[in-house]
Amino acid sequence: MSERCIRRFGGALLLPLLIAPVLAQDARQIVEESQRRGRANSQRYEGSLEVTGANGKVSRKSWNYVRTGSYGNSKAIIRFTSPAEVKGVALLIVNHPDRASDQWMWTPAIGRDRRIALQDRSTRFFGTDFSFEDLEERDVDQYDYSMQGEEAVDGAPCWKIESRPRKGKTSQYTRSVVWIRKDNYVAARYENYIKDALARRLRQSRIENIQGIWTPRLLEMTDLRRNSRTALSFEKLEYNVPMNDNDFTVQALRREQ
Amino acid sequence: MILLRLISWPYVRKHLLRSILTTAGIALGVALLVGMRTANDSVLRSFNDTVDRIAGKAQLQVSAGDAGVAEDVLERVQAAPEVSAAAPVIETSVETGLAGQGKMLVLAVDMTGDRSLRNYDFDGGDEDVIDDPLVFLAQPDSLIITREFADRNGLRTGSKVSFETMEGARQFTVRGILKAGGMAAAFGGNLGIMDIYAAQQVFGRGRRFDRIDIGLAEGVSIEAGTAALQRALGGGYEIEPPSGRGKQFESLLRIYNTAVSISSLFSLFIGMFIIYNSFAIAVTQRRAEIGILRALGATRGQIRALFLGESAVAGLIGSTAGLGAGLAFARSLTGVTGRLMENIFGVPQNAQEVSLDPRFLVGALALGVVVSMIAAYIPARSAARVEPVQALQKGRYQVLGAGENRARRWAAAACVALGLACLWAGAYRPLAFAGYSLTVAAMLLLAPFLSLELARALRGPLRRFKPIEGSLAVDSLIQAPRRTSATVAALMLSLALVIGQGGVARASYESIRGWVDTTLNPDLFITATENIASRGFRFPASMIPEVTKLPAIEETQPVRTARVQFRGKPVMLVAIDMESLGRRVRRIVVAGNIEEMNRRSAAGQAVILAENLANLEHLGLGDMVEIPTPRGGLRLPVAGVIRDYSNQLGSIFLDRKVYIREFQDDTVDLFRVYLRPGVAPEEGRRQIIEGLGSRRRMFVLLNRDVRDYVLGLTNQWLGMTRIQVIVAVLVAVLGIVNTLTVSISDRRRELGVLRAVGGLRAQIRGAVWLEAAAIGAIGLVLGLSAGAVVLYYELQVIQRDVGGMPLAYIYPLGVAATLIPIILGAALAAAIVPAEAAVRSSLVEALEYE
Repeated sequence: MSERCIRRFGGALLLPLLIAPVLAQDARQIVEESQRRGRANSQRYEGSLEVTGANGKVSRKSWNYVRTGSYGNSKAIIRFTSPAEVKGVALLIVNHPDRASDQWMWTPAIGRDRRIALQDRSTRFFGTDFSFEDLEERDVDQYDYSMQGEEAVDGAPCWKIESRPRKGKTSQYTRSVVWIRKDNYVAARYENYIKDALARRLRQSRIENIQGIWTPRLLEMTDLRRNSRTALSFEKLEYNVPMNDNDFTVQALRREQ
Repeated sequence: MILLRLISWPYVRKHLLRSILTTAGIALGVALLVGMRTANDSVLRSFNDTVDRIAGKAQLQVSAGDAGVAEDVLERVQAAPEVSAAAPVIETSVETGLAGQGKMLVLAVDMTGDRSLRNYDFDGGDEDVIDDPLVFLAQPDSLIITREFADRNGLRTGSKVSFETMEGARQFTVRGILKAGGMAAAFGGNLGIMDIYAAQQVFGRGRRFDRIDIGLAEGVSIEAGTAALQRALGGGYEIEPPSGRGKQFESLLRIYNTAVSISSLFSLFIGMFIIYNSFAIAVTQRRAEIGILRALGATRGQIRALFLGESAVAGLIGSTAGLGAGLAFARSLTGVTGRLMENIFGVPQNAQEVSLDPRFLVGALALGVVVSMIAAYIPARSAARVEPVQALQKGRYQVLGAGENRARRWAAAACVALGLACLWAGAYRPLAFAGYSLTVAAMLLLAPFLSLELARALRGPLRRFKPIEGSLAVDSLIQAPRRTSATVAALMLSLALVIGQGGVARASYESIRGWVDTTLNPDLFITATENIASRGFRFPASMIPEVTKLPAIEETQPVRTARVQFRGKPVMLVAIDMESLGRRVRRIVVAGNIEEMNRRSAAGQAVILAENLANLEHLGLGDMVEIPTPRGGLRLPVAGVIRDYSNQLGSIFLDRKVYIREFQDDTVDLFRVYLRPGVAPEEGRRQIIEGLGSRRRMFVLLNRDVRDYVLGLTNQWLGMTRIQVIVAVLVAVLGIVNTLTVSISDRRRELGVLRAVGGLRAQIRGAVWLEAAAIGAIGLVLGLSAGAVVLYYELQVIQRDVGGMPLAYIYPLGVAATLIPIILGAALAAAIVPAEAAVRSSLVEALEYE
């Protein structure tokens, strides 16, 4: 699992958006506010993943997640706990504000760590329906936003905002549409388009206020081209937990099996 | 065309057997050329095809010969802004253990980043087949196979496949199946993909990769990418497009290809003499016909064109037949050649299909036609010169005029003189080859004269043996020197080739055996692969103390042999404890002081070169050798030159400490093991296998096993060239049959008169047989003599241009002794049909002849 995944799982998608009085705001401001409200100094949770393939075959995984550091300059570790074949496999992601993150993977069956070089962001994240790009934190400055109106998702009123990558920003998607709830600034739905075709749809639900941060606890990504679905849920979620920087090193990755 | 139909076709129909034999000469030459060359090309193309398919979108590859690249190099490569994707690769072959499946090429990659370079087209979408990419990475037994391989062996996702690893036989779980085609077609579909970090473990690579495949950023040219990587990594790495691997393999094949090409062309050259012989005879037989044509107004040009046209048609038919036979031959030879190349060079091969090069095939076809026309040119010219009046005279044409003979002898003398001069100045390659060609030309020029003289010399013995038959046989040869000399020349050339090849084989075998006796003196050898030349598996350095502490072992010499690029050629770097080697092995010193070279090389201050490398690269004592290494390059002087046959392109001997320092590679390919006095080799082997064999894959070979392997390989190598020798003898036999058929045909009237005046059939038959035996004997005398010269030149070529290996001149007496009964027997066998034709022909027709 990559830095982008962790950013996404631990950052933009997991950090709830605080409710705040919003006056007349433009699309970009709404997205910025959504991101700001989700920030925390550290985070911990137990995640579970369920991938349902086009043929109906289901595979499940679970892991522990810890993250420390500020947004864009964080370190995170994902350690898989099941199934048995991947138990103990761990990922360390070190995010940098000015460049791509560094990532290492520990595979206990081989007894060694490896540096992960992600060179194609459109590839799928370890067999899920998320691509590595889907799991990145979006820098608001790299997109142009436009308000597409208002629309309710699961009965909650939302702003419907379209984003298009600016010149110089490479993305597999031609455009994305996000529905941000007016009541808590949490994104309720994303739709990502390649050319004019809808490629992936992400639905975020079970939104709860955890330690003052509105957090979606269920993410469901559907790949419309493959007709497959990935559901991601979070349990035992905690924010701003005391963490030790030394627990976020390659040595620690090997040590804590 | 009209003349061909009206004049030539009836003649061909009348002499159908001879026409077939004539075209068979060209057919065999072309078949050999096409067969050998196509087989070699197929092996090379199969290799290149595999390289192309598994290279994917990689534009460049970074490697450090067989030493591999350390993991940290990957990060340096990835950091280069000109690089868009960099993926490490380990590539090796393993025995599948599945009946009839042979080897599998294992491509080990890092799946997290490799998809940027390679298209892993999975059956039914990767989600359906790779149940879980994370499981694939997490479990070291993960393997992806191809649909073709899966179907052939009834495998599916979850099936187990077993193959040998450094840790012994292990089972791998099929976790993905690649769709047929594309990358999956590499190595004949016997492709397996596994995780690179698991491969490091199971193939003993330590923390190294075999190479790094690179995709360049958009707009970056190959040249700019190469330059940027050279700046980033320093000078010790090979940075080249994937096609560079094919070129390296091609340079390994160069020696074999050269040998094959020379012999094939030689065979075609012999075929040319068969054509010449046939047409020379046809011209004489058809003198009257030519005279009539000339009297009717046919021009000299038309007559010449008629014969050249006939030869072109014969060449075309022979070449076409040769193409078909050659391709059939290539089909059975391709797999054999591939296996031989793998055994010698350790490069995995799976060449099963014959790949055709239309341009080469058209070229071979054209070559056959051109050779046929060249061969027929002189007879055609003679035909054109026939005067109508002269055409009615019989017998004159067969006699070689004294002036003609003298001119030939002078020309031969000039060729010999020039050849010797070229030989003297032979350091310049074209001159050396010119000398060789001039010597062959001299032999050919002298062939008619020597044939005649030898025939005269045979008159006495044959007359004593069989007064009537002997006289008839010898007189026939003496009266028709033209008819005989071309066959004798063909036989001479083919036998010279046999002697040359046999001599090279004998010299190679003896030289290598001498080297094996002195150099390969350890009691045991421990290798990671059954093929000593292969470097697909390696032992870790941690195994050295494990081997050394076994009670039966007195001393071990860990050896690492890595092919590195030296002056653009893949030479072998042999890293070994030079002090121990110097103490244990009595090496054959070519240049330098043995103690001095041992001392300096053991101290890491110098290298020792194999003689062939020193010869090919013109290196001597004190010359500096620059070896590219990951640290930027190693520059050491040559302290000595020794005789060594371990690698055809040459070896550089370097102390192991220096190698480890420069290449950061402490793995071991081979252990040379010396046992304590009194310990039987079998006991030593038992201790090693019991002590270490359960933990890792290894082969413990006795000294005699290795000797047998090396000498067996030498025989196998030489055996390939022997195929050409067999064909050369066949071509020569065809010539004898042809000559005798014509001889009988020419002498129908003479033989008819003999029978009319009371000559017995047995006498006629005996005369024909003796004539055949005499041709064989003359060919043998000339061929075995010419072979002595050819052998000398072949050894020179091998030493100077091809392998750099000096081989002792040993005339292959055994081969010569074997040839005598074979050729005489073949000559007598060739005479059976013509002899029976002579005795069974109608007496009336024979007397009416001409």
